[in-house]
Amino acid sequence: MLSTVSRQLKSHPALVPLFIFIGGGTVMSGAYLLRLAMGPHVSWNRNGNPEPWNKTEPTHQHKFYKVNMDYSKLKKEGPDF
Amino acid sequence: MAHPSQLGFQDAASPVMEELLHFHDHALMIVLLISTLVLYIIVAMVSTKLTNKYILDSQEIEIVWTVLPAVILILIALPSLRILYLMDEINDPHLTIKAMGHQWYWSYEYTDYEDLGFDSYMVPTQDLVPGQFRLLETDHRMVVPVESPIRVLVSAEDVLHSWAVPSLGVKMDAVPGRLNQTAFIASRPGVFYGQCSEICGANHSFMPIVVEAVPLEHFEKWSTMMLEDA
Repeated sequence: MLSTVSRQLKSHPALVPLFIFIGGGTVMSGAYLLRLAMGPHVSWNRNGNPEPWNKTEPTHQHKFYKVNMDYSKLKKEGPDF
Repeated sequence: MAHPSQLGFQDAASPVMEELLHFHDHALMIVLLISTLVLYIIVAMVSTKLTNKYILDSQEIEIVWTVLPAVILILIALPSLRILYLMDEINDPHLTIKAMGHQWYWSYEYTDYEDLGFDSYMVPTQDLVPGQFRLLETDHRMVVPVESPIRVLVSAEDVLHSWAVPSLGVKMDAVPGRLNQTAFIASRPGVFYGQCSEICGANHSFMPIVVEAVPLEHFEKWSTMMLEDA
């Protein structure tokens, strides 16, 4: 199927940007899903690691992108349980 | 504050609002360029005597008008997301003020050090003094120290309200039973006006917000005076 697509692409090169942007969008969405899955948002092991979001460091960067924030300076504000 | 026949934003009084102004200029310029191009093409198409019936497709122009809009959208999205994340950052506030919406006034609580609280009602039109702004002035202003990060916790005691001050680039819904947080830094001393931004009943248009940014010494004098009066 890939050979059919690449053959048709050679006669219609205008479709290449379409593939690039749709492919790029799919890759970026998949990467963000992976980032969510690997982060402290999801509990994969109900018995061993039930609530990973409760175990984050005070310096953990929760946001995807930081502009002015220096996370290394944050301290834990609440008591230890 | 707003002035008659105003078209653009009010002058920025906080760094976030400056960023928003620049982003708006950037996005508006892109929009104006595209609109001018489209208008020109429309006029050119409609007013030409040339006719060509034999072009069926063109790969080059298709590539251009796929890639160029995508690039333009990325050029709009990147500054937009940057400002979005900037607005959400925890910025170590010096002062926390609670703004509670009621029907139909705001009340402000400064409880970091002492127990200071007061209500802020609109000055009725017949009680205005020359020089005051109609439907915008209040009897007590929310005074804040200039150039200090301020955290405002917004909530409501009855129905939905919204605490908005356009020149500071701040708007946060006041939801009963919920505490919303917003923050700002007043870059310059001055008086900044806003109005309730969520329909809340008969006097929704008559519960304005006035923030007065003053140097720290004046703020300390004001809060001492307010505590003594209460």
